[in-house]
Amino acid sequence: MRRIFSGISRVPDRKQNLPQLYRFCFLMLGDPRKAQEVFHTTLHEAALRAAQGELPKEPFWLFRDARWRCLEASKTDLQPEAIELDEHDLTPEAASQIEHLQPTQLAIWISNAPDPQRSALALFYLGEFDYREILDLAELKLSALSRYLSQGRRQLQAWLDAKHPEPRQV
Amino acid sequence: MKKLALLRRRRALLNCAPISRDQLFDRSMRSAVSRAAGSIEFVNQQNFDRALAELVRLIPIPPETAEWFSEKDLGVGSKWTWKKMVRNPAVLAISIAVVVIAGVSVFDVLGRLNDFSGSATARKLLTVAASTRAVVLDPVNTEAGTLSDLFFMKHGLEHYDVPAEFADFQTIGCRVFDDEESRRVAQIWLAENRMQLFLFPAERDPKTGAVLRFPGWRYVHQEGWVGAVTEHSGVCFMAALRGQEKDLEPYISKPTGK
Repeated sequence: MRRIFSGISRVPDRKQNLPQLYRFCFLMLGDPRKAQEVFHTTLHEAALRAAQGELPKEPFWLFRDARWRCLEASKTDLQPEAIELDEHDLTPEAASQIEHLQPTQLAIWISNAPDPQRSALALFYLGEFDYREILDLAELKLSALSRYLSQGRRQLQAWLDAKHPEPRQV
Repeated sequence: MKKLALLRRRRALLNCAPISRDQLFDRSMRSAVSRAAGSIEFVNQQNFDRALAELVRLIPIPPETAEWFSEKDLGVGSKWTWKKMVRNPAVLAISIAVVVIAGVSVFDVLGRLNDFSGSATARKLLTVAASTRAVVLDPVNTEAGTLSDLFFMKHGLEHYDVPAEFADFQTIGCRVFDDEESRRVAQIWLAENRMQLFLFPAERDPKTGAVLRFPGWRYVHQEGWVGAVTEHSGVCFMAALRGQEKDLEPYISKPTGK
């Protein structure tokens, strides 16, 4: 089994990085147990397809597959109330505010975003894909991806300001 | 209108600018990033994105999930290094084998550098010299140079001539015998320094039958014995004694082929 997956991860496209695939699931679901479940199901399914010689040829198919499973898995969850989040301009202190965050807090924040913003943020902050690949994976247009990312940053900054207020330099 | 659309697209690209500069594959993205590189807004965005990406990298991988990855996949930061490669048992084994093969080859080549046609026979005769006792030879007390006539008349051996360098030495005994390949070998024991002389047929080309000649004197060594060999008229002559080349050198007028 293990060999099959090491094989999968070395298919010609460079982005089938399995640790990053798990992190993607975690960012999408905000829960390590669920992330593991989706990750394992995705790879198990892929192993079966590999055994039958039916591996998809399109790039990043593992991520595409995992994304749909994550969306499916979170369908039954309690959905966050549709409220308008505060937005703040990004500040130079943001990096030090982020240092106070735990990865799980970030994952919960991203997983609570409505899709496709959730997918856009999760794929973008993996740092694995360029924007055209994200457009393809999240099935978005450039203007939409730009809007989701920009809005996500501003909302996250507002959340950081509320959670870890930094003394502003005058 | 067109300019406005262009500005909007540039703005959109900047919002999607990659976290690492290594991912600036797209020309329009590169252009947008280079135009905005100095702006505070863009610098803040890049710092923000980098800090978040760093945080994402800290997401721990549960052990049961990590089992699905091969070691290579897990090692995101584990790069290929010479040290690792050298420690690989397969590489180590191959390297040792290559070194041993190279050593043996070099030794063989060096050994062959001193080889000449007849060297194998000469070495065998050095072994004969080491094991011969004086009693097995016919006692003959004369000058070595005169034995050529004896070999010719008694045994029909043509050109079994002792070279001038050794012709004047007094002999103790001599004999003629067949070696393993039924070649006629003449052996002479000298009083001088317990030296032994051998005369034996030179090697020939198996196809043409021509004598395989070599110029001057050549040295061979075997079990503490040294022999100086020369060829003349299809017959090899070897002077042999227990010792080293320097013990034979004074007897040879012009040593060559070393």
